[in-house]
Amino acid sequence: MATSAHQRRVIQVFRYDPTRGGDGHYDRFEMDVAHPNSTTMLDILIRIQREQDPSVAFRYACRVNMCGSCGMVINGREGLACKTNVCDLPPDRDITLRPLNHFPVVKDLVVDMTPFFKKYEDAMPFFSPRTIEPEPAVIPPDARERQDIGLATECIQCGCCVSSCSMVNYHDGYAGPAALNRAFTLLADSREGRNAERLRAVLQSCYNCRTEFNCTEVCPKELSPTRAIKYIQRLALKHLGELSRPAGMTNATEEPAPPVAVVPFEPVLQHAGCVAGACSVAAAGGLPDDPSRRQFFRRVIMGIGAASALGVGGLLATAAVGPTLTKTPGRWIPISPMDDLAPAQVSTVTMRYEVTSGFHKETVVKPVMICRRADVNNMVVFNTTCTHLGCTVRWDAGKNIYVCACHGGQFDHEGRVIAGPPPRPLDTYRFKVENGCLMVEVV
Amino acid sequence: MTIEKIHADVLIIGMGGAGQLAALNAFDADPSLKILIVCKALKGKGGCTRMVQGGFNAVLNDDDSHEMHLMDTLKGGQYINDQDLAKTLVEQATPTIKEMETLYGCFFDRNPNGTIHQKAFAGQSFDRTVHKGDLTGIEIISRTTEQIMKRRIPVLEEHRALDLLTDAQGRQVVGALLLNMRNGAFVQVQARATLVATGGGPTQYRFHAPGPEKSVDGLGMLYRSGVRMRDMEMVQFHPTGMIIPGSVVAGALLEEGLRGCGAYMLNGNGERFMANYDPARMERTTRDVMSRSSYLEMQAGRACAEGGVHIVAAHLGPEFVEKNFPGMAARCRQFKYDLARGKVPVSPTAHYVMGGAQIDKDCHTTLERLFVAGEDAGGVHGANRLGGNGVCDSCVFGRQAGKSIARFLTAERGAVPHPDAARVAELCARYERPLERSSGERVFVLRDQIRETNWNKVGVTRREQDLSEAIAEFEAIAEACETVSVEGHAAYNMPWQTYIDLLNMIDVSRMVATSAQERKEQRGAHFRIDYPEQNDEQYLFNVTLTRGADGRPAIVRQPVAFVHKSLAECQQYSKRPPKVNK
Repeated sequence: MATSAHQRRVIQVFRYDPTRGGDGHYDRFEMDVAHPNSTTMLDILIRIQREQDPSVAFRYACRVNMCGSCGMVINGREGLACKTNVCDLPPDRDITLRPLNHFPVVKDLVVDMTPFFKKYEDAMPFFSPRTIEPEPAVIPPDARERQDIGLATECIQCGCCVSSCSMVNYHDGYAGPAALNRAFTLLADSREGRNAERLRAVLQSCYNCRTEFNCTEVCPKELSPTRAIKYIQRLALKHLGELSRPAGMTNATEEPAPPVAVVPFEPVLQHAGCVAGACSVAAAGGLPDDPSRRQFFRRVIMGIGAASALGVGGLLATAAVGPTLTKTPGRWIPISPMDDLAPAQVSTVTMRYEVTSGFHKETVVKPVMICRRADVNNMVVFNTTCTHLGCTVRWDAGKNIYVCACHGGQFDHEGRVIAGPPPRPLDTYRFKVENGCLMVEVV
Repeated sequence: MTIEKIHADVLIIGMGGAGQLAALNAFDADPSLKILIVCKALKGKGGCTRMVQGGFNAVLNDDDSHEMHLMDTLKGGQYINDQDLAKTLVEQATPTIKEMETLYGCFFDRNPNGTIHQKAFAGQSFDRTVHKGDLTGIEIISRTTEQIMKRRIPVLEEHRALDLLTDAQGRQVVGALLLNMRNGAFVQVQARATLVATGGGPTQYRFHAPGPEKSVDGLGMLYRSGVRMRDMEMVQFHPTGMIIPGSVVAGALLEEGLRGCGAYMLNGNGERFMANYDPARMERTTRDVMSRSSYLEMQAGRACAEGGVHIVAAHLGPEFVEKNFPGMAARCRQFKYDLARGKVPVSPTAHYVMGGAQIDKDCHTTLERLFVAGEDAGGVHGANRLGGNGVCDSCVFGRQAGKSIARFLTAERGAVPHPDAARVAELCARYERPLERSSGERVFVLRDQIRETNWNKVGVTRREQDLSEAIAEFEAIAEACETVSVEGHAAYNMPWQTYIDLLNMIDVSRMVATSAQERKEQRGAHFRIDYPEQNDEQYLFNVTLTRGADGRPAIVRQPVAFVHKSLAECQQYSKRPPKVNK
């Protein structure tokens, strides 16, 4: 074993006494750590309790990364106390330990996980066989569904992902990453019988995800709930027809599945090419055998940029895919009074409109660029979506070009590509002027 | 004092594999039953099923048979198993593992053709261990916990059972006294049937594999309830607990599949010492032999620098190790050991209690209305448990218990006697006493003492004088416990919980040491330096005990009943050439 130098460390521990209430405070402890390589945060807490302050409270059980009881915020980042060693943290800084975010504190570092399990249960995390089989299903390990599921069933419900998520606190109905990850593993499982019901139960939640990857970043088991959420969104797209029928929601304890739910849900990734953002993954031939988070990051991060620019979560609303999904005719959206648009200049105006697709309703907020020539009737309205990966393009008046900050794409004032990776000119909108107001057509 | 009172049809204490399968099977047999699960940790997070690495032994292959699995189990147990229980284990393992997949949604590792993969484990004549990578327990317990949610079976989290409550005559168990660990309040549960399924978890030793929240609570409360216990001298030491200086993770396991695949064990001189102990089987020998051999090497001054011996898997190829044992490789990496390329220092580590309450195959005990399943029960494994038979035991007998309880409650319509209120008040007062003292003994010091005494004197090797001394030391610790003082409020008070753990450890240590005195021979996990030979002439009995009037164990020997396989058949089977690694 690699020996490591002895360290003197300062540990700041959040304290909350339920018998006193209040906001809590930090207590400072100092200790010599003889083996920083092999001393975990859990060991630190046990030593504080034994040597300095027996009243400090924390939760643990297995101490080997298998039970997910000791999740906490360590130096500002969620992790398991039993999986974070002293040597993993910068030696010149205090170590700060505080309870997970978004959960009521029971005492010190111990939180009440009830809200976590409530949301977990709401996502129907339990297997309900399609039919009761006498023998285990014959499914080769390289079957598409097992490759899609990968190690995602190894979630230990530690709550780190939920604590790291910046959205759960703003949306009561948001199931959160762990619950959606579990829902995904069942949605991908060909043995499962209640997936239509499950998809209805969790889909709305998926649109609360803003694809920040915080959950993926902190997961102690190196899973990617973000990937799971995107999977569910793509699956929903594939089954839009079934979903928009009146939902035959049933009591969650009932079994077997109601007839309306008998939909053969197939693994979705190979069909996902039409969805912006996911296309790079699908085009690359599906996910790798072991979709660990780093591999996933490498392959999908490019695609996600596109999704976010199109209004992530609003994938049903994007102009690009809209027509393939619905029969909605183009609509004319008012943009600006013509008088506000200076001649011989490019103006950027934010357009705002609501779109309904299936049962999903979304407000689209998106800038458009109006290039008005000296001849005031000669005008082009550009779509600000970069034709490369969907970032938002802006007008650089100094250089007289449109630029994309993501990968350096550049377009001339006519929207033609002059530099960088974009494969085609900027898209334009059809427009008209009515009663002195510029209108553009969205579909 | 008024305490909260709850009525239930079925009280299940413990939420590992045994408790959960019991709840699921009782519910599925009769959904109208009011079932209450109580667990010391958060929902589904405690217990040892979750910590299972290796896997679950079950006969699934046409070339394998229940007969072979039974003989392997009896041979491993050195013939003193309860043969009815062992037979039930191997026969019911097959439907149990199938239900894990078909009803509860587990998905175990597959062969390339899509059937369930089974891997090699030590002491088995056929590769029959079903697994999910090298962290099988997470798959089992996560899926069954979700099934508990699905059935909306209520769970009292972070509540521990303190003691079983009996009727005035001490013949029936009528419920249990619980402690809500979050707020420190006592809760009384009155139940028509009670299942103890807390799991053993011998953390009363310096090195221990189970997580520290396991503290032989079930065995302690069973003993105090007056139920008959058996085979308590049989404590399994797993040969490969990691040595990690300064960490509570010390003692955590590297799974047996490593040795099953051909990993070597080397002493401090770099020698494959198993050649001196079991040249036929080498490292693929059973856990008892492997642990004892390592321990004797360490005692003989041939320990490695870290104080144990080394396990080496590098010769299997780094890629093979990383691919087949990713969890173990990661666990080593966290502590800067390289399992795939280097060697890792390990020591025998207290792992499993083979002994426990005496039960029949439907989990009945010697007390009415009391059922026991899993590690809290004794007899299934005899003197030594095979790797992969542990989670199998928990799940099979949890399932048996659930079905059995449902049948019992259908037939049994009598009223449950009320718990004795005076007894309840007395227990509450006793448990609270340390909180009332302003000064006194420190609980962590006492717990360290009992761990050292057990490790040195009631551990891998034992001798008469050590056992006598140990028993005296346990009594001294018990006496010191009467003056323990715990600071602070009762809510989430960890030292107070440690005090209650310690009370259970003391009772279990008493049982283990007293039973170990009774068996003057080597058998399975029990090794007497002063009587180092197995003695089939005199010792084919089980050491059973109940709590005597003085609080000490009262021992009764019961001859082994060879009801399915004769002694001759067992001995003959033991002589078969073992399966070894090339």
